[in-house]
Order: sequence, then structure tokens, then C-alpha cells
Amino acid sequence: MNAGDHDPRCRSCAHFFNEPQYLERSFPGWRSLGSAYGAARAEDGICERHGTYLSARQWCRHYVARSGTVAAMADLE
Amino acid sequence: MQAVGKPDPGAAHTLDRRMGWREIYLKEDWWAIWLGVGIVLAAWLFFANGSTIKWIAITPKKWSSFGQLLDDFAAHSSQYAVQFAAWLAIFCVSMRAMGHRLAHFVPSFVFLYIGSVLIIMVGAWDKASYYNLEAPLVALAVGLIISNLLGLPQWMDTGFRVEYYIKTGIVLLGATLPFTLIVWAGPVAIAQASIVSIVTFLVIYFAGKKMGLDRRLCATLGAGGAVCGVSASIAIAGAVGAKKEHAPIAITMVIGWAIVMIFVLPIVCRALGLSAGVAGAWIGTSEFADAAGLAAAQTYGNYVASGAGVAGKPDDAIWAFTLMKVVGRDVWIGIWAFVMAIIATSRWEAQTDRKPDAAEIWWRFPKFVIGFAVASLLVTAVASQYGYADYNKTVVPKLIAPIKDLRTWAFTFCFFSIGLTTRFRDLAQAGGRPFWAFTTGVAVNVALGFVLSVIVFGQYWTVLSRP
Repeated sequence: MNAGDHDPRCRSCAHFFNEPQYLERSFPGWRSLGSAYGAARAEDGICERHGTYLSARQWCRHYVARSGTVAAMADLE
Repeated sequence: MQAVGKPDPGAAHTLDRRMGWREIYLKEDWWAIWLGVGIVLAAWLFFANGSTIKWIAITPKKWSSFGQLLDDFAAHSSQYAVQFAAWLAIFCVSMRAMGHRLAHFVPSFVFLYIGSVLIIMVGAWDKASYYNLEAPLVALAVGLIISNLLGLPQWMDTGFRVEYYIKTGIVLLGATLPFTLIVWAGPVAIAQASIVSIVTFLVIYFAGKKMGLDRRLCATLGAGGAVCGVSASIAIAGAVGAKKEHAPIAITMVIGWAIVMIFVLPIVCRALGLSAGVAGAWIGTSEFADAAGLAAAQTYGNYVASGAGVAGKPDDAIWAFTLMKVVGRDVWIGIWAFVMAIIATSRWEAQTDRKPDAAEIWWRFPKFVIGFAVASLLVTAVASQYGYADYNKTVVPKLIAPIKDLRTWAFTFCFFSIGLTTRFRDLAQAGGRPFWAFTTGVAVNVALGFVLSVIVFGQYWTVLSRP
């Protein structure tokens, strides 16, 4: 598989998690006055590699396709 | 702290597929539109054919003795049963589409509905206002007691969808708010809310920076106090690429202060003798979340309805709140997120692969506002075909009042859910510096909101329903 088979953004990265039930469990209190199912979240999620919360449309040089293939950003740029 | 665990691989949100327009069945905002506008269209169809949905929009009547209450409930028990079945059926469809387990949703919604019936009954007691037992406050207090002292299993949270219920209620609220009023008051609401939002954000941001907090945490806290509470905090956290632990800190701050304000703002407004419209504007400016603010605004509206000597109409408080909070603050969340993403990537990060994307303005837009405007337009168009006398005699009781009653149910589901899902022991420890940074912003926000709502634009909000 080459990197072109994937859109190499966070949304398809193995380090990125944005499933809403998982996010609501990760951020205690979110569902008390908000919701991971709301439009304002867009597709944001947690990057477990960097310990950050960010947009699914972002990317970085540590991208790993969810299948496990490492896609070096240097090859993509 | 609850266990987080790993994501559910069978969830409806396929992780590596772009959401795009699939959000029309995966996001609560859209379901609030389908449900809210669907109810309004059904109400209009019945009305156009000389009938009404009043039968199913049953609520407990005012009562002064238990016998009276029980007799009324027994006489309308079949209406409650059908109404419950209707709510359950439409929520089941939407909850399943969004990936929730119906085996969890159904029992928790049964609990929520029964509790809501009891809460609305308490609110309908003719002495309720005297004892400060307004339905929103009772719902919140009872929910907090159950979740913090008695405890419910975590899976029951599936039925306690605060945001979904409040958004549905706001769409229904649109049907009771003349579109002309939105056009007339919207620009003032936007101007007032913008002043307060920008000032509050800057105060929290710079107070936090002064205390040595990370800039991304400062921005996340600032958005929570300035824009639309938890949703804004999390949207800004995503836009600036905040650390994972930043959002829970902001959530703790927003929830803590929002719950305090639900109880404090209506009491202070009442003590100051503010008119319903002015109080609603102040609450809309100074509360941090839609659900919490509507609880406070509806409480104040109930004071007016109970003849507590407050000027204005009961709906003025809710209308002014909604104009200020939803039109003045919520709709700008996408722009806030985009601007903060530009600042974060161009000023804060020396080397970054991240890039702001203007499309986020649309994807983060709180779509339920579209449903709110559509519902308002629909009912305003129908009402415009009637003279004033016919409007009050026909349109209000047969079309608008039943929608308003269903709105009361949606709001009660929401207020009760706030209490049921707020477990103080589960919230993240915020620490002293975030607390003081946020609290500084709260103090400025409340004071500035008061000056703008009462002094600068006071005359304007006082005559809200008489433009």
C-alpha cells in the first residue's frame, strides 16, 4: 500500500480517535452541558500519540495509516 | 474518575471516513431540526384541516390539592401514554441512527419521562412559585441529588441527552417567536453579545497568561466563558490543538459556574425587579451554556407567570435569552474557531504541519439554529393571514399553545438530564490558576452583561414583545 491510498489526515491515522462515545468518556462532564454529537465539534478527536485534541482535517509527519502502514509525510509533500 | 476504554469499532461514526453531509443523520443538531420542524409541520397540517395537536401535547394543569392533581392525571392518562409512545418512537429512530444502543436508551428514557411528569406536576402546583419550586430548578436539583447521592448506572446516560433535548426545544421555541422579532432584535443582540464575548474572552485569556497557563488552555477557558460554554471550549480546543487535559479543565469550570448561575441569576434579577425581557437579556449575556441559561430564563418566565410583580410577559425572558445566546453568541462559534486556528498556527507554533481550514466555519455552525429560524418563519407566515382578534382566538390555542407545551417537555427532559449527568466526583480537577482566570472572566462578564442589558439597552429589552 502506498500513502496515496489514504487521505493522510488525522481522521484516517491510527493515533487519532474521534468516536463520540469514546470522546464523551474521555472528557468527563462533556455531556452534562454539551455533546460530542453536536455540530460544533465537527470531526475533532484525540491524538493519542501527541496527547492533543485537534481537527480531523489536520496532519503531521507521524501519520500512521489505520491499516498499520507508516506513511512518512516527507514522501507526501 | 470513570474508565475510558477504547473506542467502539462498531460505532456509527466510521473513524476514517469523512463525515461531510452524513452529519444530517449523525449529528444531534440535524435531528433536532427534523424533529422540531416535523412537529411544527404536523401541528400546521392539523391546524390547516380545522384540527389541532393539542390532545397529544398534554401537560399537568394548575392544581391546589392532591385530589385535584390525581383526578386530572387519571382523566388524561391515555393522552400521556400516547405522548410518551410518540416521544419514545421518534427518539429511538434518531438515537439508533447516531449509534446509541436502544437497550440502554429505552429504560433510561422511561425513567426520564416519568421523572419529568412528576417535575412538571410540582411546577404546576399553585404554591410552587411561593416556595421557589419552579420546574427547571426542581429538575436540576432532583437530578443532582440522584446522580451525586444515590447514583445511577453510567449506561443510563444514553437517555439523558442534554444537548439533543435543548436543541429540539429551541427549534420548537422558534415556532413561538415571531420572525419579525428576530429581525428587529437580532442586530442589537449580536452587538451586545459581541461586546461581552470579546471582552470576556480577552479577560480570561490574559488573566490565564498572566498566571502562567498554557496559551491553548487560556483560549479553551476563554471560549467557554465567552461564547457558548462547553461546546465552545471543546471547539476551540480542537481548533488550537490543545492538550488532551485542557478541555476537561474548561468543562469543569463551565459546569460549576453555569450551575451556580442557574440559581443565582433569576434570584438576583427578581430582587432587582428587572422586567422579563431585561432579565432574559442579562441571563443570555452572562450564562455559559444554552441548557443552563434556558433553565434560568424559564425560571424567571415562571416568576412572571405566577404574578410575582415582575413586568413583562413570561415569554419575554425566554425570547430575550434566546436572541442573545443563540443568535448573538452561538452562531459565531465557527468563526471563533477559525480565527483561533489561524492565530495558533501562525503565531503560537514555530513549526507546524497544521493548517486552518475555512470550511470549519460551516461544519462547526450550530445547525439547529436553521431549524429555529425555519420554525419561526413557518408559524409567522401562518399567523400573518389572521387579524389580531382571530390570531388570539384561533391560532394561539390551536397551533402555538400545543407547540409551546411540547417545548416545555423537551426543556424538562433537558433540565432533568443536566442534573442526572452532572457527577461532581467525575469532573476533572481544575486547579487554582484556571479557576481564578475563569472566575475573573465570570465577574467581568456578569458586570458588563448587567450594564449592557439594564442600562445601555435596557429600554430596548423592556419593550421586547411590543416593538
